[in-house]
Amino acid sequence: MGWVAIYRREMLILTKKIGNMGYVFSTAISPFIYLFAFGLGLGDRVKVEGGYLPFLVSGIIGITVMMNSFQQTSSSVSVGKLYFHTFQSVVLSPVGNAAVVLGIVMAGVVRGLFFGALIFVMAWLFFGAGVLGSTGIVGMILGALCFSAMGTVVGLLVKHPDDVSLVNNFFITPMTFFGGSFFPLQNLPAGVGAVAGLFPIGSLNLLIRSSGWNGDSLAAAGILAGLTGAFFYWSVWLYSRYSE
Amino acid sequence: MQRRSREVDNMIPGVSDPVAAVEAARLCKIYDGKNVIDNLSLTIPVGGVFGLLGPNGAGKTTLMKIMAGLVRPTVGTLTIFGEDAVARKSDLKCKVGLAPQDNNMERELSVEETLTVYGRMFGVPQLKRRVEETIEEFSLGDMRRKVVRTLSGGMMRRALIARTLMPKPELLLLDEPTVGLDPDVRHEIWEIIRNLSSAGKTIVLTTHYMDEAEKLCEKIAILKAGRLAFLDTPEGIRNRFGGVDSNGEALETLFIQLAKEGRT
Repeated sequence: MGWVAIYRREMLILTKKIGNMGYVFSTAISPFIYLFAFGLGLGDRVKVEGGYLPFLVSGIIGITVMMNSFQQTSSSVSVGKLYFHTFQSVVLSPVGNAAVVLGIVMAGVVRGLFFGALIFVMAWLFFGAGVLGSTGIVGMILGALCFSAMGTVVGLLVKHPDDVSLVNNFFITPMTFFGGSFFPLQNLPAGVGAVAGLFPIGSLNLLIRSSGWNGDSLAAAGILAGLTGAFFYWSVWLYSRYSE
Repeated sequence: MQRRSREVDNMIPGVSDPVAAVEAARLCKIYDGKNVIDNLSLTIPVGGVFGLLGPNGAGKTTLMKIMAGLVRPTVGTLTIFGEDAVARKSDLKCKVGLAPQDNNMERELSVEETLTVYGRMFGVPQLKRRVEETIEEFSLGDMRRKVVRTLSGGMMRRALIARTLMPKPELLLLDEPTVGLDPDVRHEIWEIIRNLSSAGKTIVLTTHYMDEAEKLCEKIAILKAGRLAFLDTPEGIRNRFGGVDSNGEALETLFIQLAKEGRT
């Protein structure tokens, strides 16, 4: 049960931040700006089945889950490893490799789901967003696991704190804008759309928007679960070879 | 013959088979083509305080990190209490404690939370009781709820050593434990180190203060460019280089002599 010790460590540090309302507000403000700017600015012009606002709300929830899960683990590991050296205390502990990664990933999942749920509640209150179905809830959990594990890989890989922003610029930002969150992938040129279709955020959005379990939603869940497994295994391997 | 006398030196009461606390054999650590630890062979006996000295960049901190399992050696072997430090790394983690040169505690946690979180990661039994014991032992009562980033240098250092001792390691690695501290706080830390040594812990200490090394250590090794340049007891050093009191004078003479040899 060593993973619980790591998870509780990460959560204690996270709750200290969440206890600071300024942190919660600043984290929630970006998705809200997206929601207002795109919802009010483009609302009438983007034609989507079922209306643009429900489409946008689900996309923003997907982005929020992705960004928060990823940032929690990537920054916790990279800053703790390279800047404050607090990650040393984890490495010095006898907790096993897989347990360390699981503890870190689970804390990322909690942050992703917390802010995802917060945005959903806000969208429900201000924009009358519909209730999420089982596919949406499973999608949020799998998405949080996938991006949290991806963040752990990045945190362990980077050799300099600035490298995390490179990953943000080359992977997270393109996924934010070309992952089907703000407009359907069909609106993109065929080639670009095909590449964007490979982004895991696309699978997360598909699950959040899906009305029930079918071939597409099962495939999307399978992709997220497979990627989670791959990132998790990669993280364990990287951690087992940790050396300063 | 030399090997035999080293083994006899290392024997401690109640232990018939002399096992060294740390034994490095042809140890190397290469960073970007540079040998930071260069073919180092060194034995640290069980019990007492062992001083690791050397100029900046001599490889002291790297050696400490290798012993703690934070850095993998490039070549060579390192055993801790007879077990391979790389192959048996997980098993050794409860036996080895490192208090690094720079604070590596979470800045936003209180002292009490820091001890609890660390103890939990080590699976310390009766954690609450152990935290209370440690707080009392290190006189941390007044600052138990203080956030780490608000602690003074001396308090921070004391909390760091206290945290390292939460899982009761047998080998304690103290990397420059008194650097930048006021004289009264240095003396407090010395007292802690002496008490730990009396309690049977093996302590490896790096320092730039010659008087500190002479006062606290039973054996002193001087590293230079990742190699072992000198190894003796403080008495042996005084006999060879002069000085009567443990004021670090003899050690300083030796240190300067070794430094000059490097420049010529």
